[in-house]
Amino acid sequence: MIIALLIALVVLGGSAGDVFITKGMKQLGEISTLNVARLASILGRALTNRYFLIGVVFMAISYFSFLGALRRADLSLVLPATSISFVITTIGARFFLKENISAMRWAGILLVCIGVALISIPSQP
Amino acid sequence: MKTAAVLITAIVAQAFGDVCLTKGMKAIAALDSSGAGFSESISRVSHIALQAIQSPMVWAGTLLLIVFFVLFSAALSWADLSFVLPATAFGYVLNVAAGYYFLSELVSNTRWAGAVIITLGVLFVSRSGQRTVETPRGKLPLPGVAE
Repeated sequence: MIIALLIALVVLGGSAGDVFITKGMKQLGEISTLNVARLASILGRALTNRYFLIGVVFMAISYFSFLGALRRADLSLVLPATSISFVITTIGARFFLKENISAMRWAGILLVCIGVALISIPSQP
Repeated sequence: MKTAAVLITAIVAQAFGDVCLTKGMKAIAALDSSGAGFSESISRVSHIALQAIQSPMVWAGTLLLIVFFVLFSAALSWADLSFVLPATAFGYVLNVAAGYYFLSELVSNTRWAGAVIITLGVLFVSRSGQRTVETPRGKLPLPGVAE
């Protein structure tokens, strides 16, 4: 039960975090430099971007829930169980970021979910 | 090409980061004899946090996950979230392999099959173009044209 609760926090925190971080990074614009000074300036702008910071808070909630779950179950169970976040994040990207999800992309995302579901079946000794 | 290089580096860092974190946290849990109950006292939680901060494995895992996060965020500055996220799912395949080789976890045929299907899904997503919305500094490329 507590493992299910922790996994729900991992998924919802992670999906919300991804959407907010993408919104923040898109505001900064495409990174296309390897110049250290310019990268440092981009890092500074990211760390003061409101959407980016909200995203980081959601990520932190997800991360600490993940650590808690790992203490109670195997990595090879916890990690695949969070697979539903691919669908939830994609729906978030569709509605909040106005991304255009083609049939090809949905097919790929569904294959990823099926694969992750198969992986989540625990191995019998 | 830029997207591929950034995402592949990110995925490898994440897979090794997860292995290090699991090794570190499992070692701490093994020392903790009272089991994982819901009513954890504050002193016990802070005791575990103190041990985690002192564990080189937990540090290595956390640093690798920071590397993953920086590269992941960078990719999101030009590519779709609905492209970048499923592309990083290839990390699951690496995690199964890493769990098998480094953590001695059992991997059934079903789970190897899952790894193959994920790989197929990532190939589909990688064929769907990487950007469908215009960014302030990036024009929308033609649909399906790989950059």
